[in-house]
Amino acid sequence: MKILVFVKQVADTEARITITNNGRSLEVENKYALNFFDEFAIEEALRIKERLKDVEVVVCSYGPKRSIEALRTAIAMGADRAVLIDSKDLDTDDPLITAKILSGFAKGDGFDMILCGKQAIDDENATIGPMVAEMLHIPHVGLVTKIETPEGGEVRVDRDIEGGRQTVKVKLPCLLIVQKGINEPRVPLITGVMKAMKANIPVLDPATYGIDVNSCTKEEAKVKVVRYESPGGRPPVKFIEGATAEEKAKRLIKVLKEEARVL
Amino acid sequence: MAKDIFVFIEGKDEGVRKSSIELLSKAKGITKNHNSTTYGILIGPKSEEMVDTVRPYPDKLIVVRGDGLDEYRWDTYTPILERLIKTYRPFLFLGPSTITGKDLFPRLAARLGAAYISDATGIEFEGEEALVKKAMFGGKIISWMGINEKDCALVTFRPNSFSIDRPSGMAEVIEEMGDGKSEEAITVLETKKTMEKKVDLQEADFIICGGRGMKGPEQFGIIEEIASLMEGRVGASRAVVDAKWRDYEDQIGKSGKTVSPKLYIGCGVSGALHHTMGMDTSKVIVAINKDPNAPIFQYADYGIVDDLFDVLPALKEELKKLKEQAG
Repeated sequence: MKILVFVKQVADTEARITITNNGRSLEVENKYALNFFDEFAIEEALRIKERLKDVEVVVCSYGPKRSIEALRTAIAMGADRAVLIDSKDLDTDDPLITAKILSGFAKGDGFDMILCGKQAIDDENATIGPMVAEMLHIPHVGLVTKIETPEGGEVRVDRDIEGGRQTVKVKLPCLLIVQKGINEPRVPLITGVMKAMKANIPVLDPATYGIDVNSCTKEEAKVKVVRYESPGGRPPVKFIEGATAEEKAKRLIKVLKEEARVL
Repeated sequence: MAKDIFVFIEGKDEGVRKSSIELLSKAKGITKNHNSTTYGILIGPKSEEMVDTVRPYPDKLIVVRGDGLDEYRWDTYTPILERLIKTYRPFLFLGPSTITGKDLFPRLAARLGAAYISDATGIEFEGEEALVKKAMFGGKIISWMGINEKDCALVTFRPNSFSIDRPSGMAEVIEEMGDGKSEEAITVLETKKTMEKKVDLQEADFIICGGRGMKGPEQFGIIEEIASLMEGRVGASRAVVDAKWRDYEDQIGKSGKTVSPKLYIGCGVSGALHHTMGMDTSKVIVAINKDPNAPIFQYADYGIVDDLFDVLPALKEELKKLKEQAG
């Protein structure tokens, strides 16, 4: 069985992000990490491998060259193989293009199951999973919190739905979108880190596996950022003073009602 | 092309999700300016009451009926919406950025090859061009996205992005039939509803959130009481969820939910970056904390520096009085 995991390297939560070029571009401080939610996907693939033995875990990312570091983390955790699809200057704001490239890779490399995290924490799109599944004509299940060992060409999973939880059975091949709570991602061991440092991670050009790159250019993108803005900061906090907690509570309610008008 | 707008109506329990009504209000404001039509799209209504609740908001309401359509599934809803979009050719299809919206819209966008912007918080027009506002990097950056496409574009919006206008009419109802036969690839074995009849965290107007300063799970009783008094929800910081004082579904922040209620009250929440990323778009933020240097105060509009367990009972009494006055 072959499990494909799609991951993204994203700006670290603590990275400083500056708007430049009159609102037309962003400058991100050089602090990147493997996307938080993708760690759960890698971990889950490794756990299935541990239970089923005969499983290959392949981790793939579409992004600039620096993304290779995120793939090394995946290898250090225990993935068998990693592949970077080099975005070069093709990088766009349109998730359809990313999905097209990743699904093209999946088609060429083959898979029984695809795992991905519920969203990237940089663009916060949460779109790639269902898009890739649609392009591959396979079922997807979102917000998965438990994956049982696949058996007889099927897999049972638990997922969150509005106001509850559901257990479903899905036929393979399928795409599962995992979220926090499914597992505790392992911290790579030093032997894993050593292995990852030496690992040969191929860097592919999308054109080499039959993607029509002309349909993946910035000009072809159906959505694009027109400008960036800083969120308007709030004025400094107003501390509610009073001799007792009761008095402060009373004054707070008064300002919420009369000044902020939210009560 | 006429600038008609489709709005996806999402049900909740037996009724209609508030965020769908917000989107209908916003859509109608746009189509009024373009002399075009706002269509509500309601698939598999659970009751006629649901149809009646929605009718005052759009210009026209398309109701799709068929066996097996009362529960959302992407495999049954996607082909229905694909057909409706190809028939009516709206220029925008709006939906809520809820669990359902996030499952359905990207799948539909890929099927149609349509432009799609997710998790937006606003939309404005510069001439004929729609510009969609979206938060990135946990709210550190706002981006305005343009749509480079003639055909229908899909946009999902966070709940609480728009206010609800007073309805002004009664939509004509267009009845359509839909096929509810699902793909054999996915079989539902069991469904457990845990939160029925409760407002969703992301849709709540009022959120009172507990942090590590709450000291223990047994202390959440008072904020539960305040939340139910205000018909809102209890939220939790990551520390609280990791300590298993509250369930993950209550978690607000980078690894939890993003919320923007009218009023957020943080109780004993320190205000770490991963938490504020999930709540700093709230309209009004109140922080209650013993420590005057807690980072949460940099994000708050109003602050109280005092012992939580003295402030919360007093706050509850004041809110109770307010509710009684309002009758």
